[in-house]
Amino acid sequence: MLQVKDLESGYGSMQVLWKPSLEVKRGTITSLLGPNGAGKSTLLATIFGSVEPWGGKVIYEDRDVTQIPTHKKVDMGIALVPEGKHLFPNMSVYENLSMGAYLKKALVHKEESLELVYSLFPRLRERRNQMAGSLSGGEQQMVTIARGLMTKPKLMMLDEPSQGLAPKLVGEVFETILKMKEEVGLTILLIEQNADASLEAADYVYVMHEGLIKAQGTPAEIKQSADIREAYLGI
Amino acid sequence: MFSEQLIGNLIQGLVLGTIYGMATMGLSLIFGVLKVVNVGHGAFIMVGAFVTLFLFNALGLNPILAIPVAFIIGMALGYLFYYTTIKRLIKAPELATLLATFAIGVLLEEVIKLIFGSEFRGYNWAVGKVSLGITVLPLSKLYACAGSIIIAVLLYLWFNKTRAGSAMRSVVEDSEGARVCGVNVSGTYALSFALGIGLTMASGVLLTMFIPVGINPYMGGGYTLKAFVIAVLGGLASPYGAFFGGLVFGLLENGSYTIFALIPGVEPFALTRFFSFVMLLIILLIRPTGLLSRK
Repeated sequence: MLQVKDLESGYGSMQVLWKPSLEVKRGTITSLLGPNGAGKSTLLATIFGSVEPWGGKVIYEDRDVTQIPTHKKVDMGIALVPEGKHLFPNMSVYENLSMGAYLKKALVHKEESLELVYSLFPRLRERRNQMAGSLSGGEQQMVTIARGLMTKPKLMMLDEPSQGLAPKLVGEVFETILKMKEEVGLTILLIEQNADASLEAADYVYVMHEGLIKAQGTPAEIKQSADIREAYLGI
Repeated sequence: MFSEQLIGNLIQGLVLGTIYGMATMGLSLIFGVLKVVNVGHGAFIMVGAFVTLFLFNALGLNPILAIPVAFIIGMALGYLFYYTTIKRLIKAPELATLLATFAIGVLLEEVIKLIFGSEFRGYNWAVGKVSLGITVLPLSKLYACAGSIIIAVLLYLWFNKTRAGSAMRSVVEDSEGARVCGVNVSGTYALSFALGIGLTMASGVLLTMFIPVGINPYMGGGYTLKAFVIAVLGGLASPYGAFFGGLVFGLLENGSYTIFALIPGVEPFALTRFFSFVMLLIILLIRPTGLLSRK
């Protein structure tokens, strides 16, 4: 569904991505592991287009989308759930979700998307008239994922969805990710610090370090390789 | 006697305040969306005033018709300056956009001076007046007041009831969040800048309807300063806050004028300007986020 080939990008004159390549197969959870500063977030942002690619290619559903602007990518079914939430704090939960259905294609399905989102996150139905800025951290994370679902995506890229959450909530986030794959039929590209939980949920794993893909394999293969675990994952 | 004069002046102040408010909405909109302080704000008001003057004196057109004309020219100038200048500087440190908008202001002043010369001009639109007993209001001032309120209400509806308006609000709240929702953020920046300049130029028309004299290429500076005080009063990033800030400012300016006029030996008009800056300082000390802001 998604192929990344020799992608290069960075900030100012500092290059962060040094030609990583990867593939995300339809209907799977692909997990991107690696230490802080490995370039994982930059990779997602460059795939999405919020960071400009310097070189390489992004192929989505057999189409070269490397230079396509972000709003068109959202329309094509690529969603990014960004690190650090980026909610609209002075809008209600409902308004935040409605913004997710901003594009016309998503707007047509707004009611069914809302039902789906409320069934995945029942608490958001109760909180729908509350300002997003007044929610707890865990609830805000739910809104961020839910808002991503409202765009009616086919591919969802999640950047550290469990960051800063209590252990119990981390489990809930991973359950939701599995549900999104199995019940909603989404393809998922996931960045996580939490390597253990990530290896549990993923179908395929890439290990990133210093802007490069250093290793890849099924979760079982990664777990078996003591070298990879010690060198890049610290587990 | 004094109280009658004060009430009369306050009524004038309220009418002028609606125009002041409208004249600051563009500044607040641009700051709210792009985080750019448009130091050339007053120069765009000045261009709006010259559009009115030209249409009235050369073509005999009613100033009310100058409002949409100035708005459209303002939108066009806004897009032009956005794509040639602002877009390149939006990620640069704030000083870059301050200098750029300052330069745009100087450019506009000099171009207008080249075309129209630097003398003071005015126009005489005689549409009658209404007597309120205490004070007499020319109808032109009332039209300007009504025009300001209508434009403010339209902007409010546009912001809250249209898709483009909700996109703009989402960019104000969190531009990254807006981007992942599929909002065309750079397009929204361009539209906001153009809309802000369009509103500012339209307010130039309304201001000349209130004060149809003293139109000259360098008239904008005073309005830039007043707009900053009003924007701070209203919470800087909110166009509606700016509108109410304008009302407060108009009342305080005219009220203080009446009081200063009682002091023998002072020139009250000069003192009102001093007073408005004292007010700005006090507000910044007590409520740095603005008097009318939510936080």
